[in-house]
Amino acid sequence: MKTSSLYGAIFWRRNSGAWGIMAAALLMLVLYACLFPDLLHLSGLARLSQTWFPLAAVAMAQAVIMLTGGVDLSTGPVVSVGCVLSASVIDDGALPTIGGILLVLAVGAAIGGLTGLVVSLLRLPPIIVTLATSFIWTGAALLIMPDPGGSVPDGLSNALAGDFPTPIFVIAGLVVLWKLWTLTPQGFASATFGDNPVGAFRSGVKVETVRILAYAISGVLTILAGLFLAAQTGSGDPTIGAPYTLNSITAAVLGGVAFTGGVGTMRGALAGSLLLTAIISVMFLLGISAFYQYVVQGVVILVAMTLPLLRRN
Amino acid sequence: MTREEAEAPAAAAREMARPVLSAVGVYRSFSGNPVLQDVSIAIHEGSIHALLGENGAGKSTLINILSGGLKPDAGEITVGGESHASLTPLLAQRFGIAVVHQELSLAPHLSVAENIAFGRLPRRRGLIDYPRLATEVHALFADLELDLPLATPVETLPLGTRQLVEIAKAIYRKPKLLILDEPTSSLAAVEVARLKRVMLRLRAQGIALLFISHRLEEVLELCDYVTVLKDGRRTASRPLAGADAAELVRLMVGRDPGDLFPPFESRAAGPLLVVEGLHSRRLKDVDLTLRRGEILGVGGLVGHGQENLLLSLVGAEAHRSDRMELDGRPVRISGVAAAARLGIAYVPSDRKIEGLHLPQSLHFNLILPTIRHLSRHGLRVPARERATVTDLLKRFAVRGGRAEDRVVQLSGGNQQKIAIGKWMPLEPRILLLNDPTRGVDVETKREIYLMLRRLAAAGTSTILVSSDTPELVELCDRVMVLAEGRVRVVLDHAAASEEAIVAAAIGADTRERAA
Repeated sequence: MKTSSLYGAIFWRRNSGAWGIMAAALLMLVLYACLFPDLLHLSGLARLSQTWFPLAAVAMAQAVIMLTGGVDLSTGPVVSVGCVLSASVIDDGALPTIGGILLVLAVGAAIGGLTGLVVSLLRLPPIIVTLATSFIWTGAALLIMPDPGGSVPDGLSNALAGDFPTPIFVIAGLVVLWKLWTLTPQGFASATFGDNPVGAFRSGVKVETVRILAYAISGVLTILAGLFLAAQTGSGDPTIGAPYTLNSITAAVLGGVAFTGGVGTMRGALAGSLLLTAIISVMFLLGISAFYQYVVQGVVILVAMTLPLLRRN
Repeated sequence: MTREEAEAPAAAAREMARPVLSAVGVYRSFSGNPVLQDVSIAIHEGSIHALLGENGAGKSTLINILSGGLKPDAGEITVGGESHASLTPLLAQRFGIAVVHQELSLAPHLSVAENIAFGRLPRRRGLIDYPRLATEVHALFADLELDLPLATPVETLPLGTRQLVEIAKAIYRKPKLLILDEPTSSLAAVEVARLKRVMLRLRAQGIALLFISHRLEEVLELCDYVTVLKDGRRTASRPLAGADAAELVRLMVGRDPGDLFPPFESRAAGPLLVVEGLHSRRLKDVDLTLRRGEILGVGGLVGHGQENLLLSLVGAEAHRSDRMELDGRPVRISGVAAAARLGIAYVPSDRKIEGLHLPQSLHFNLILPTIRHLSRHGLRVPARERATVTDLLKRFAVRGGRAEDRVVQLSGGNQQKIAIGKWMPLEPRILLLNDPTRGVDVETKREIYLMLRRLAAAGTSTILVSSDTPELVELCDRVMVLAEGRVRVVLDHAAASEEAIVAAAIGADTRERAA
């Protein structure tokens, strides 16, 4: 093997697990475009990307945690916190807007980092810790804003959720940042040690530090989804995040991220969230009842999980 | 570094060399059972030091202490000129101590190259430097005569190759002391030869190696020093020159059995279970005859098919055989329930997971296998259950155990008695025991031995898989030694000595490799 191609060879293989889901997502988009050619216009694309963005962000957040061998049950409540916080602290004007956004993201990092700290210090299973924190953040969101209200500057709403598909570029930016992170030794470890933390520890990885960093990153991504929802609706809603806990896990699992940790790619998780979004949007636009959407979602998970097994046997 | 070293003549240099690591007076016990007692060892640079001992002699515990994975209860470890009461993994790494563990530390889905450098990936401007990683691993592989694709995920490689990756990973860390825990056990002959060359080259580079192996011929061929452990005590620590295999085996075994074992008496009668040509994933062409009231021991190096034999006989593992007869009638053991109907009961070695429900009561555990027999019209009958449990507790002398206590509160020995005793109401004709005395104190061992004798006297046939060679010698009517899934030899009671059993287990290995 030529030394110069090592990186390419490794990542070609690593991505090979995600081709299936990427193809499925693409196929669904084609179907979408055939049924509703509106997608091919800028505004149609903007609409789809706005539906996709919150799920994409939480799918990435969930994937970060799952790669470390955990699972985050507090995703939805943290999204809610992000939404009501954004509607409270982001004010009109360039400087207050940017300052507010940075504050919200910092809170996300703190929430995630704190969770990671608790998991590392108390050595409790992440599923237990995030089960507990899910109640805490649910309550916190309601304390910040008991009823839907507040407001987000129109400028921010138009920039993120206007007639231009901004979310696609934000997601692209996040993917690039994630790529850079996995190219640092800490980031590399965080995305790979999940299924063998003991081996990683013996190899000299500072497992606890890496885990806390990963949880902080996940917190930022989660709260970003909340911020976006606030911008999209123009106000805060303390329960808006509820569906995102299970949906984020669904998207990550669809994208090939393993519950056992260590296996999976961010691209896969994003493709999983895109597939889910496209399916739901198509059914919605066809006027199919939301109840069927749930049924289809369940069937899709089972089919997607079974297909790779069939191929292996 | 030191003055002596600089002035010493080359020939004596190795003798004079300062130890890279030394440990003095190390003690360690687990839940009251002493595992290491007053063990000392010094490992010199540029030498290969063999660590020998039977299964359970304390080798793994010692390695863990030397590499910072475990704290000793007492003792002192000197490394890099500093004395420590205990090491941590980080400290051990800083002093250049690298361990190749038996259970691998690799991340299965990562590539070979990434695994080798995992934890110390080369970087440039903060990012992982893949071209340099490739160059470094390439150079390392050239040095080790390895030819492996760098980008391949480790999980797709065969086990022996993974072991080589693990060794390369340790060497990548440029250790001063390399600890190899049975590195050859999963390697084929070609790989073993390559590993030997690598070890000799590392020695020439001045690296100290601690080598754990069950293959005596490798030890005699490669090593400069040897330390032998027996029951957690050091029986020898000296230069290897002049030693032969027989002497090493004597140092490893040959303890005084004392009155640990009840007097041997054979009650074995006619054949009960006859198996011919048994094959499974790990077994090759095993023939076996179990007689009524016999205790048939199964020994050999751990992991050479002993457990698989029991699992096959209880129907928990896929198997096929040319002939399988119980009481002269052909039988098929298709599953654990079928085995239970035939009167075959299996007591797994991992009593904490497979054998018992720890958080549940003694009562619950003792009635679980027989709950259908004890109930009437599909309903449980408390009075019958209580009578059964009371009787079992009395018969198995479970000290201080009341029916309502939770099993987790009992000592390891008493737990084991419950794990065996729960099958008794079924009146099994064949009892399959997997290492029943592992991690059990001497007194309970004695009680378990007595119980096995009593059961045998009452006509129960037992197959006893054990990693404890003395109990095979003292307790069993016959001892079968398995190596690599094949029957190496069947020794009757008179011929079954510890030396014979160990020699059969190891000798078998030698022959396989030479072939």
